[in-house]
Amino acid sequence: MDEIEKKVVDLIAEVLVDVNKDNIQLDSKIVEDLGAESLDIYDMIALLEDEFGMEISDEEVEKIQTVQDVADFIKAQKQA
Amino acid sequence: MKRRVVVTGMGMVTCLGSGVETNWDAITQGRSGIGRITHFDTSGFSTHIAGEVKDGFDIYGCIPVKEFRRLDRHQQYALVAAHEAFMASGLQIPLADPYRCAVVVGSGMGGLETLETGHDTLKTKGPKRMSPLVIPMVVVNLTPGLLSMKYQFKGPNFGVVNACTSGASAIGEAFRLVSNGYADVAITGGTEAVVSAFSVSAFNAIRALSVRNDEPKRASRPFDKDRDGFVLAEGAGILILEDLETAAARGATIYSEIVGYGATGDAYHLVMPDPEGQGAYNAMKLALMEANVSPKDVSYINAHGTSTELNDKIESLAIKKLFGEHAGQVSISSTKSMTGHMIGAAGAVEAIFSIMAMRTNIVPPTINLDNPDPDCDLNYTPHKSVEKPIDCAISNSFAFGGQNAALVFKKV
Repeated sequence: MDEIEKKVVDLIAEVLVDVNKDNIQLDSKIVEDLGAESLDIYDMIALLEDEFGMEISDEEVEKIQTVQDVADFIKAQKQA
Repeated sequence: MKRRVVVTGMGMVTCLGSGVETNWDAITQGRSGIGRITHFDTSGFSTHIAGEVKDGFDIYGCIPVKEFRRLDRHQQYALVAAHEAFMASGLQIPLADPYRCAVVVGSGMGGLETLETGHDTLKTKGPKRMSPLVIPMVVVNLTPGLLSMKYQFKGPNFGVVNACTSGASAIGEAFRLVSNGYADVAITGGTEAVVSAFSVSAFNAIRALSVRNDEPKRASRPFDKDRDGFVLAEGAGILILEDLETAAARGATIYSEIVGYGATGDAYHLVMPDPEGQGAYNAMKLALMEANVSPKDVSYINAHGTSTELNDKIESLAIKKLFGEHAGQVSISSTKSMTGHMIGAAGAVEAIFSIMAMRTNIVPPTINLDNPDPDCDLNYTPHKSVEKPIDCAISNSFAFGGQNAALVFKKV
């Protein structure tokens, strides 16, 4: 995992109370595999936006499924 | 037909520590929990002291570590106090009929500190950066909500917002739910965590707080002529109330019986009590009438005793009016002299202290009462606790806004 991916995993682990960080893989689906519900997702977005200094619209959030998707989105935004 | 209501569990978190026994040891030894404020930088503030709950208050480890950031401190304290109370009660989840189980918990200002930090975010980072946790961490009814989720209590569930009377009002309302047959069990009490920059500066603005910054442990001095305001504090007190028959049938430990609750409103002023003390007097009178107890049979009053000039005088006046020639005999104390004023948690923690006074036959002291105010000429148990049989106790709570509540407890 690169630095951005590691940071994303850290933030997701911080938000999801019942999920052990070791069980979060890059291909884990955030809702189906990790059990995130809507409040968790909004919480993650707020933390990610704060950490990486960017805005993630609700439309973009709907396209995101896995941990890798989140990291890829952040990397794309950083390059843009 | 009214049912008898008993207390089958108690728990608390205060600046003196977590747990009823820990607190009672400290209180009966006359120990103060007041110190310098550490939660925020007090530079430029008039007041630098408070009764803060110390880190490590979750002595049971009952809150998962990752949950802390999702809970305002007032919610954390309530969960820890409720854990102690529920364990003590011996109740087992799931309860026979969860719809007969109520939760009524008070708080004066709920997640005020979360509101402050949320507002900072709004101003510095803009509206899009607001945390989705702000609303559930701020609103007062989320504490009863959280407790219902944890213990699967599905009956009546509400928060009580009544400033410094919130805890006592919550207990009184829960008492009525059980007494009138709307619930068989209730988790009740109060919680507060408003030692924050916003609240200290706002209380300073009405000159309500002590500024005895160099002597924190001597700052809360109810009924003393040198008092200069109350000391803000935080904490939670939670009680389990139960219908006597239900409690007896399962062989529960019964800590006390609640026998009366009186509630009144002063209809007088934003922050001053009725100068004749009529609201306070009538709250106590109504509570004793419901309890069918005459004033001469009351052995202990846990006073509201905030250490403000007006409260201490008016409360003393109200006690004299109600107790008449017996007023000098009844033992009174203000445990706020040691815990500070926990606002919405005060009435609940003090209800538990009143029950502990009966269970141990010890009247806790009013510390720092070196030179009584001439208008405060009752038996306030200065400096040291006193041993005496206590069969019946009153706990008083009065609020800015004129709300008054008195609870009467009896030894079982």
